[in-house]
Amino acid sequence: MRPLTEEETKAMFEKLSKYIGENIKLLVDRPDGTYCFRLHHDRVYYMSEKILKLATNFSRDKLISVGTCFGKFTKTKKFRLHITALDFLAPYAKFKVWVKPGAEQSFLYGNHVLKSGLGRITENTMQYQGVVVYSMADVPLGFGVAAKTTQECRRVDPLTIVVFHQADVGEFIRNEDTLT
Amino acid sequence: MKAAVPGTEVPGHKDWVVSKFGRVLPVLQLRCQKGNKARTMKYDPSKYSHNIRKLDRCADDQSTPVSQLTWELDGGDDDISRKRRGEFPSYKPRRAKKSRPHGLNICEALDRKRFEQNNSSEDHMESKQFSVGPTRTKAQRSPDSDVDSDEDICRLMAAQDSSHNALHQEAEESQLEVVGLEYSLKSGRKDCEDEYDSADTDELFASRRNVSTLINNANEKAKRSGPLDKEEKVKAPLPLQTFSFKEDFDLGGKRNKSRVLPVLQSSSVSHSDDEEEEESEGSCSDSEYEAMFSNGTCLEMSFADLQKLAEDASQSSETACDRGSEENPELSPGPEEWPALRKGISPEEILAAILEESTSDEDGQNERKKPEGVSLPAFQGTKSLQEMDNCLTKAKNGRGMEVKKQMQKSEAPQMNTRTSGTERQEGEKKALLQVGKRTPHKVPIASESSSSSDEEEEEEEEEEEERTTGRQAIVAEKLSAETFSEEDRGKIFPDEGSVEAVPPPFHRKLNAGKEEELQRKANLRRLSALQQKQKEAEEQKRLIQGALANLDAPPPKAGKRIVFDSDDENDEDEEEKKSWAASSKKKLQDIQSEEEAVCSRAVANQRATKDKFTGPQLFDSSEEEDNAEEEENGFHIRPQFEGQAGQKLMALQHRFGTDERFRMDERFLEEEEEMEANGSLTVEDEALEEEKKNNLSILQNVLGSSKQPSSKTLLKAAKFRDVSTLHYDPSKEEHTAFETKTIKTTESKTARRKKREEAQKLPEVSPEIFYQVSSDLKGVFGQTKEGLSNAEEKSNWDQVKEEEDRGKAEELQSSLLSEDPITTKEGSSGFKFSFFGVDAEASGRDTTEYKVESIQAPKVSWQLNQRVHDSSSDEEQERHSTASTETEETPIKSMDLFFFYPGDTRLKEGPTLFCRSSQLEEQREEWEERRTTLRREVRKKHKDAQRKLKAAPKS
Repeated sequence: MRPLTEEETKAMFEKLSKYIGENIKLLVDRPDGTYCFRLHHDRVYYMSEKILKLATNFSRDKLISVGTCFGKFTKTKKFRLHITALDFLAPYAKFKVWVKPGAEQSFLYGNHVLKSGLGRITENTMQYQGVVVYSMADVPLGFGVAAKTTQECRRVDPLTIVVFHQADVGEFIRNEDTLT
Repeated sequence: MKAAVPGTEVPGHKDWVVSKFGRVLPVLQLRCQKGNKARTMKYDPSKYSHNIRKLDRCADDQSTPVSQLTWELDGGDDDISRKRRGEFPSYKPRRAKKSRPHGLNICEALDRKRFEQNNSSEDHMESKQFSVGPTRTKAQRSPDSDVDSDEDICRLMAAQDSSHNALHQEAEESQLEVVGLEYSLKSGRKDCEDEYDSADTDELFASRRNVSTLINNANEKAKRSGPLDKEEKVKAPLPLQTFSFKEDFDLGGKRNKSRVLPVLQSSSVSHSDDEEEEESEGSCSDSEYEAMFSNGTCLEMSFADLQKLAEDASQSSETACDRGSEENPELSPGPEEWPALRKGISPEEILAAILEESTSDEDGQNERKKPEGVSLPAFQGTKSLQEMDNCLTKAKNGRGMEVKKQMQKSEAPQMNTRTSGTERQEGEKKALLQVGKRTPHKVPIASESSSSSDEEEEEEEEEEEERTTGRQAIVAEKLSAETFSEEDRGKIFPDEGSVEAVPPPFHRKLNAGKEEELQRKANLRRLSALQQKQKEAEEQKRLIQGALANLDAPPPKAGKRIVFDSDDENDEDEEEKKSWAASSKKKLQDIQSEEEAVCSRAVANQRATKDKFTGPQLFDSSEEEDNAEEEENGFHIRPQFEGQAGQKLMALQHRFGTDERFRMDERFLEEEEEMEANGSLTVEDEALEEEKKNNLSILQNVLGSSKQPSSKTLLKAAKFRDVSTLHYDPSKEEHTAFETKTIKTTESKTARRKKREEAQKLPEVSPEIFYQVSSDLKGVFGQTKEGLSNAEEKSNWDQVKEEEDRGKAEELQSSLLSEDPITTKEGSSGFKFSFFGVDAEASGRDTTEYKVESIQAPKVSWQLNQRVHDSSSDEEQERHSTASTETEETPIKSMDLFFFYPGDTRLKEGPTLFCRSSQLEEQREEWEERRTTLRREVRKKHKDAQRKLKAAPKS
């Protein structure tokens, strides 16, 4: 477990900023204590200082997970967000998409969100903007990337994809073994 | 239109037809989407009359007369009532079924009233959901569940309409909804709980949530009954109550320390990570709580009512109920009126419903439930009630406990002593937490002599601790249930004199008279002590000291007690406790709570055992005195327990118990380690801080790059202003931007100063140059002649100066003759000075230098010339020097007379340009002549040009 290098931090922040923008600052600079990002087995964990100190008691190979896993770095050193980060993305998300109850399941099985399943969307959403997907009952279901702008979403026919699937809470079951 | 045949169009109104029963109905153009195609369907109501018939049949067997089909629905001009009357503002595409004319609605309305009577059992649940938020979809779907009257319907409908959920449904049916960036989520978790049954993960959370919903529910109920009950009275003691409420609920997660002041929450964070998390989660709903607690009395009211109703129903012969009504006379009207309002609901049902709700989160609170359930009968104070409640307690979780606490606290404002008691305890706790280094046992404040009162208080505290910590022995519960209840009664209602009336059993065994006397004395002492304590609590500064001074019940006491009854279960409990403590983070607090728990348990055990064997001996005066002394000795600050290492030491000490042989003192302090630890800590902290800063800077970079374009456009958009409308207003601060600033001049001044300084510096002239003086006179003469001729041309302008400078020039001559380099230097400078003045020196210098370097002869010749033509004139001298600097003559002139000099040719020429040289008429003639010629010429040229132009395209 080590702190992230500058490049890594940058890569991660760039990815995070797609979803929560400048709200990353709220994650880094928290009033309720010191929180930090740590890299462990190519995965980025977000944890409080306390847990960090506790975790130092374990050897690296024995430690599976600590804090909240935000995502992992691919072999090409790109950062990929995991669904476990949703808890931190959802409250700060800038752009949101609500899926209709009928489309919830589809999304939770890892499919993209179609126009027909789109219940509500934040205005001025740009194309390829990171969005957090909610159910109509405002339960965060996952996150994705807007395939169309809000204006385009109005026009397109019901079978076009409006949100590309990135991660959904169904992964907690589907990828149970790999999520940490 | 009654006479009209169904299907005939209303004359003058397109798309309106007469339908069955003479109603005028619109022909609907429905747009229905099938797949990708959108079609419009025409719906003529007159052609669907059979549907109405069908509905009629299924709705009611008794055929409704036509006259009754027209319903007068009262209601204002608002949307809903209009809709109910059948006046839809604008058509929104819906399915044909839904927009079918009123037949269905009417039937529903008929059914509704019948249904209302049946759903009394559901009523509670539904109302709860309703109270949580009008945005609930469930409530929307079953609008007829919680409606008592038309008003209620109205309210419900209005709430639905106002909610965005209604919007959402419409959107769902029509199109997707676009929301602004500021769109706030309704708390998703709540819905998550209700709609998705995720009891596993959110159990703890759910418990709290339910509490809040319950409160809300109760509030709702109370609000409904509010106008009838006139509950405004109840709100008088509100502040304190709300306070206690908050306390209770804030600490919902860790009820074992419920009496900690809310202020201290941050410091007394939590025992384990789980709890911490819990709390952090809970904190997000704090605002909700606060909002709800703003009228917290209502809750209390309702619960008290419920409880009382339950009691009434159970036909308990005990006086508890009476007392309760005595205690809160304001609350008493509640129960009578409430049931009347909520028809067909027995209080037991309500209670049961509430309790059933709370059972959903039983699992998470199992641990807490047990002890809390234990103390429940104690509060009731009656055996019969206890029996009744025992079955209830199985279903009850911590909330029942809380309810009771709240009830207790509700009495607080009415009884000063009581409140002071609680305050005092809070103060103590606070003090304990702040002092932190002490082994925190019970700390009643009474004076040394008041041993009996001490005991009383101790018991009281223990009682409360038992309630709050909820970690007492289960065995003790049954044995001491009776005594508990009676004691409790005595404590909770001390002002009624019930203490005397119902003395505790162990007191009963003593001499009654003595006991009474003692009691009275003790009570008096206690009251005085409490008052004193209250004062102390008010002064926060003194609080700590006061609390420390009043601390008693030393560790040895606790140790003794533990030693007394070393039961197996006790040990087990301790082990449990220890493991629990190990998981916790804040050692100090753990220890505190643990010891408190131990003490309370010990007391409970004592009570259990004392009834068996020892009985009143425990409270012998002699022993108590001893205790008091010990308490005196036991409590003083131990410096070895200060600080971080001290805490460690304290933990160690705690492990050994209060055994004298293993007392930890200063010698065991590990200072070095502490230092090291501190050092490492600070290093780590610094590293983290640095990392944070680094992260923030990176973030700045990341965001900055992405942010810039948008911000730029924003700025552009925001900054456009019509400049033409802009007027300078000196009173406005913004307009200072339009003022020209005088800074420039100051700058120029400084620049000037610099220049001046530079000018004042004498030029460095290498002396070697001046050594090389050629004595070739011929060349010199030739040169001087030229110079002379030049000079004579412009001799007129500086004659005045010349005379002044003459003396100096002569000096120069002499110095030059001696060929002293220094003097020549001086001379040159002096010459310049005399000639150009200070300001123009630089230019003069240049010329001299130039002269010196390039042409040696003239310089010499100039000197020689002076000597030779000594008699002629000094002017020539000067002329000669300026020969090369002719260009500078005008500036020199300007030195004297700004622009002009007397007899300036320009001055003479100027007026001639302005004055008429000839008569006006002459001039005019001249001009006219000239004009004609000019015209001619212009025309000619114009023609030529045109010709050329014409010729050009042809060619």
